[in-house]
Amino acid sequence: MTTTTPDHKPAQPPSVEAALAEFSTCIDIEQRTFPKNAIQAVYLLHLVSQDQLYREIIRPFMNATDDETAHLLTQSVFSEVCSHCECVDAILNGKAALYQGNQAWIIDLARPIGRTIEQSETESVIAGPHDGFVENMMENLAVIRQRIRSSHLKTVELSVGEVTKTPVIVAYIEGIANPDLLQALIDRIKGIETDAVYEANMLVQMIDDNPNSVFPQFMTTERPDVICSKLTAGRIVCLVDGSPSVFSCPTSFFEFFTSPDDYYQRWQLGTALRLLRIIGFLITIGFTAFYVAVTTYHYEMIPHTMLLNLVESRSRVPFPPLFEALLMETTIELLREAGARLPTKIGQTIGIVGGIVIGQAAVQAGFTSNVLIIAVASSAIASFVIPSYIMSASIRLIRFGLIILAGILGNLGLIVGIGFIVIHLAGITNLGTSYLTPVAPMNKMDWLDSFIRGPFYLLRNRPSQTRTTNTVKTKMRK
Amino acid sequence: MSEKISPFHIALLVYMIELDVTFFSLPRLIAENIGTNGWIGLIGLSLIAGLNIVLIQLVYRFAKGRTVYEIMERAIPKWIMYPVYVLLAVFWVMLGSFVAKKFVLIFQIISFQTAPSMFLYSLIAVMALYLLTKGIYNISKAVTIFFFFLIPVAFLAVYFIPEWEPIRFTTFLFREAAEGHSFRNWLEVYTIFTGYELVLLLFPYADRSKKIFKGVYIGHFLLTSMYLLLTAVCFGFYSLGQLQSLMYPVIDLLSYIELPFINRIENLILTLFLFANLVSLTMFLWAALTALKRLFPKPKKNALEIGLVVLSALIAIYPKITRDSEALLRAALYAETGLAFAVPILLLLLLAWQNRPKGGRSA
Repeated sequence: MTTTTPDHKPAQPPSVEAALAEFSTCIDIEQRTFPKNAIQAVYLLHLVSQDQLYREIIRPFMNATDDETAHLLTQSVFSEVCSHCECVDAILNGKAALYQGNQAWIIDLARPIGRTIEQSETESVIAGPHDGFVENMMENLAVIRQRIRSSHLKTVELSVGEVTKTPVIVAYIEGIANPDLLQALIDRIKGIETDAVYEANMLVQMIDDNPNSVFPQFMTTERPDVICSKLTAGRIVCLVDGSPSVFSCPTSFFEFFTSPDDYYQRWQLGTALRLLRIIGFLITIGFTAFYVAVTTYHYEMIPHTMLLNLVESRSRVPFPPLFEALLMETTIELLREAGARLPTKIGQTIGIVGGIVIGQAAVQAGFTSNVLIIAVASSAIASFVIPSYIMSASIRLIRFGLIILAGILGNLGLIVGIGFIVIHLAGITNLGTSYLTPVAPMNKMDWLDSFIRGPFYLLRNRPSQTRTTNTVKTKMRK
Repeated sequence: MSEKISPFHIALLVYMIELDVTFFSLPRLIAENIGTNGWIGLIGLSLIAGLNIVLIQLVYRFAKGRTVYEIMERAIPKWIMYPVYVLLAVFWVMLGSFVAKKFVLIFQIISFQTAPSMFLYSLIAVMALYLLTKGIYNISKAVTIFFFFLIPVAFLAVYFIPEWEPIRFTTFLFREAAEGHSFRNWLEVYTIFTGYELVLLLFPYADRSKKIFKGVYIGHFLLTSMYLLLTAVCFGFYSLGQLQSLMYPVIDLLSYIELPFINRIENLILTLFLFANLVSLTMFLWAALTALKRLFPKPKKNALEIGLVVLSALIAIYPKITRDSEALLRAALYAETGLAFAVPILLLLLLAWQNRPKGGRSA
């Protein structure tokens, strides 16, 4: 968590020889000498914009006399640096270092590297803006600024990774975000001691309150509109260079079941969608496990009319329900993972092959029962209803534990498993705030924007979890 | 501990501590001990429990932020109090164990008859340990979620409307009690409310800026309402004779339900009640923990918690059949009811003595 590498002292004076030695055997380092004025420019060839390089350095310094050079270097784009270390950092960040004797200046010539803004593939919406974050942090910040035109949107720049020195920006709205939470987040990011951080989803795991929990504790998103809504709600966001994901905090468990779509539709539809997602969550986590429990221990729970079909279907299956369910769930996970890794066009083929092979052939071959196919497929579909991919993946993993418990102990196993999950969730905190807000601690106003999506005139207050003192968000009446 | 428990969570905590395994035999207890229209007696008993809560509220008011232990230790020497704490801790562990063990034995009536009961008990004990290690604030959070799992069960009452006959209530009041009326019989019904007295130990953890006793009353009222609903459904569904002869009328009541996609939901509901019994066990273990922490203020991490859970498992080995377990639990609940009244009265006396005006009167 420092911008200096341990092998050179911060006080070492700048010199072109030291810079070249630092970047020895780097094929992309370039040194350009201007003999007329003894200026030497050092930069990383592919990090700088060639146009700017020509405009700002080559053309002005090519034939400049000593006086002209001295005058040029007084321009505000050049800033004088006093240490070798600063020069090295600047070069690594796409700047050019200019040396003249024992003096050095730096100038920013960095060119944007990466893709242009396009739609997020992992978080698509039907209504609403379609732009997504990209890998360039400053561009992401610009996208946020474009939406929040307020000077109260403040930023704190940090850097993580001893080797990667990945720039990180913590953004918040002054006067809305809680300063204690902000400080806590900054302290945690500063406390990271690791070589490299490449992604926001990686960084959040290093600052979690409960690093051993399977549940994601920071909400990450690729959607600028989501991040802007978090900022105005009083949350703090963090951008990591090189990552199209931006995270916000403090986060609650129920936040992962909300989507920007909810706000772009009528509130009744938004509410129905949120309830649907909660039903989806319950189906994902418990439906297959319940099937296993019932078909292993509690056949009496199945109504007579359904029982005949189920027994007929199960009679051809040689495996116990637990094994059958694990087999099918693993196959579905394999299909999902294969689909995610392959290009979209081939991924579609996987779906068709999987659907036919698993849906038809497995039943005909007597590997599994029809009802289990329905249970497993419903669970899989329900898991994709959860907007956050990371939360959805966590829940799918937990499901395996519940299936095994249900296979061993029936309904009791299922309930014991759910009990353990609840106790675990109750113990999780995010920046010291409860992960189960607004259920525990209870805040009834927050319910209007968590389990349901209330009409805008009722969404008056900012979430209590943000611990903001500026609580009023909407003043309009019905 | 910086976080404080709000009245809402106290309400749910009180509700969940009071709700335990006695839920399944409640209508029989009322039919046997109170007789016809026993629900009216239930209201009366609930009011008595309410009076007990008033006593606890007075303690809270006069204690002015002091804990129960601090009040006692100021008046009684520690060498007397420490053995009392140990006895209290052991008693609370016993009570929690009997509640959980009885649940396991009832559970085995419908499922896992051949499985060793201690195996099932140890599952609950491990959950209780996990919960206990999270601290009281997180326990209250988990209890809130468990409450939301259990409360929808009340809506099943709708299913019995077509079969429900008010005539089964009869026009007689408190007649045909199996053994006539006696203090002991009414006390037996009263024990269903046991658990609210643990609020005494929650004083330091409650949010003093809010009216915490509003939460206690709401929790108790909610539970009374739930019990009244259950009693009303059972007394209108079964005859008094049936209620008196059915061991666990609630289980039979649930097995009557046939939904289009699921039957015999007592399998699921009874299992779901594991949460209510888990909360009771955990809270009695937590009470024991608070007592032991007076003796061992800085224990090794989780050492006391593990010790208490192991002790509870050892105690739970003793009741092997439902009848034994019921008798032991009943005896423990009687003692707890006695404590629930005696401790606040004792504390009020101590507080009156401690808060008496200092200095002599000038002539």
